[in-house]
Amino acid sequence: MAVEAQRPAARPAEPARPRPKREREEEVLVWPDLVFIEFVAAVLFTITFLLLSVFINAPLLNHANQDVTPNPSKAPWYFLNLQELLLHMDKSWAGVLLPTVALAFFAVIPYLDRSRQAQGVWFGTKYAVRLTVIAAVYAVVVSAGLVIFDAGDRTHTESLTRWIPSCDTQAAHQGSPCLRDADPTKHEGIISVKDVSKRLQFSVPFPNIWGIHDKNLDWPGDLDHIPVPLNNVCGNIGSFHLWCDMHLNIPVIMSDQVIPLSTIAFLAVLIIYVLFRLGWVRTRRDVFLIMFTAVMASYLTLSMIGSFFRGQAQALIPPWDIKVDEG
Amino acid sequence: MAVTEDPGKPRNWSERIGVLQDRIYDKIFHNYVWQSIFRSGYPNTPRNQMLVVATNVFLHLHPTRLHRTHVKVTHTYCLGGLTFFMFLILTVTGVLLMFYYVPSVERAYQDIAELETNVKFGLLMRNMHRWTAHAMVILVFLHMMRVFYTGAYKPPREFNWVVGVILLVLTLVLSFTGYLLPWDQLALWAATIGLGIAGSAPYFGDETQLIVFGGFEIGPSTLLRFYTLHVIALPLLAAIFMAVHFWRIRRDGGMARPL
Repeated sequence: MAVEAQRPAARPAEPARPRPKREREEEVLVWPDLVFIEFVAAVLFTITFLLLSVFINAPLLNHANQDVTPNPSKAPWYFLNLQELLLHMDKSWAGVLLPTVALAFFAVIPYLDRSRQAQGVWFGTKYAVRLTVIAAVYAVVVSAGLVIFDAGDRTHTESLTRWIPSCDTQAAHQGSPCLRDADPTKHEGIISVKDVSKRLQFSVPFPNIWGIHDKNLDWPGDLDHIPVPLNNVCGNIGSFHLWCDMHLNIPVIMSDQVIPLSTIAFLAVLIIYVLFRLGWVRTRRDVFLIMFTAVMASYLTLSMIGSFFRGQAQALIPPWDIKVDEG
Repeated sequence: MAVTEDPGKPRNWSERIGVLQDRIYDKIFHNYVWQSIFRSGYPNTPRNQMLVVATNVFLHLHPTRLHRTHVKVTHTYCLGGLTFFMFLILTVTGVLLMFYYVPSVERAYQDIAELETNVKFGLLMRNMHRWTAHAMVILVFLHMMRVFYTGAYKPPREFNWVVGVILLVLTLVLSFTGYLLPWDQLALWAATIGLGIAGSAPYFGDETQLIVFGGFEIGPSTLLRFYTLHVIALPLLAAIFMAVHFWRIRRDGGMARPL
């Protein structure tokens, strides 16, 4: 402002330009311009919720009873996505670690994306809208697709892997990979990823070392109780039992941790890589735009699936078939 | 300022009424008591309009003036403000609900049932509390998305974004602790799922269950803990973080603007 006043006053050669507006002229008074909007918004919401509360009652079921379990029993909607994840992977990943990772990711966004570009306007970068839409659609399709794949007996995705032969129950070692069928007359493909540890069997020739006595390393039989080195050393720190009698169940680690998590990681990297190769991802902001959108969209999708598509015993069924057994 | 000029004698009835109006106006707004409460005059001049914002403890969360683009509803959709407004409604309705509610396994369910039938507007208060609580969770998410997609977390507002993430967690936990209080089947089994999730934390599962839920199954101590967290500990914590959140908006230069 003061700088402007010091400019040479006369420059007659230039045609008349509209004087750039000063900061103060672009400003409006909070009272009444903003306070009025806030007031109207508050009144509208008060009326809306008053009416909503007059016409729709909050649920109150029977008295709590530890002996009667409703089927299905569900968490509140904003945690239903975690409940949904519990069906597909190790519970500590689904319930605690992944949400923690997601929240930590949210928190560090501004420390990793430090550029000041694209702030203060909606979708400030060149391809922002396009990236947001693609990431949202991709996340919805992928998370719904994975849920559908993991309920293979109902959605018939197991037929895709039915070519894997049924296991020979008489053989001592299975050799090439096969699926063990509970009902020998009915062969099924991979119903869910958990089948990798529950039903998949194979063996490879192996020398008689490390606890192998029959020249064959069997999946899962030989790998589900691997002692961790030094697990005979037992110590307590406070009430935490560390490293005592710890065994690894490799097939379960594979089916409940490695496969689900690496699938998520792979699909996330894939979309970012593809959009990068297309030339639409140009800045770090764009990468975070994709990731944030994808996390939000899959959060919502999994909540929806948990709310509307999970029936008794958490089976995947259409909304109109859901019947709640109050117990 | 009191009207000091002598307006002269009123010539007709409309002037008489005008004089009367001025007198009443003076009596209400220019007396000693009123001016001890409201220091600035009626906000009908730019000066008074700025003073009324700057001198009022509630309004002074705002700056006195702000950029034209920020007043556009489509810039923020009022999402942050509405989230806070939901918090206020929840506080008021929550206090009213507390009058009728005892957090014991024997009484909780009965109290809620009686609140719905025997207390005037009790059902309405409970409904309001329930629906605005859901709305607050939704609005927090929408507000977060608004801030993200407008790039408003960028420097110098990094830390305020982190405070926002903390407030998101607090909102979710506040909502979840409230979910148990009616002590019906919905509440019990939702909390049981939460208990299972908490117990699955690596290494600290048992400790989390003991500290947050007060035991390895949902019982009287869980109810009391959730009640205490819900009505005092978490709202207080949320209020502190909200104060920081609002303060930082101003300190970090108001709302984000294009460079």
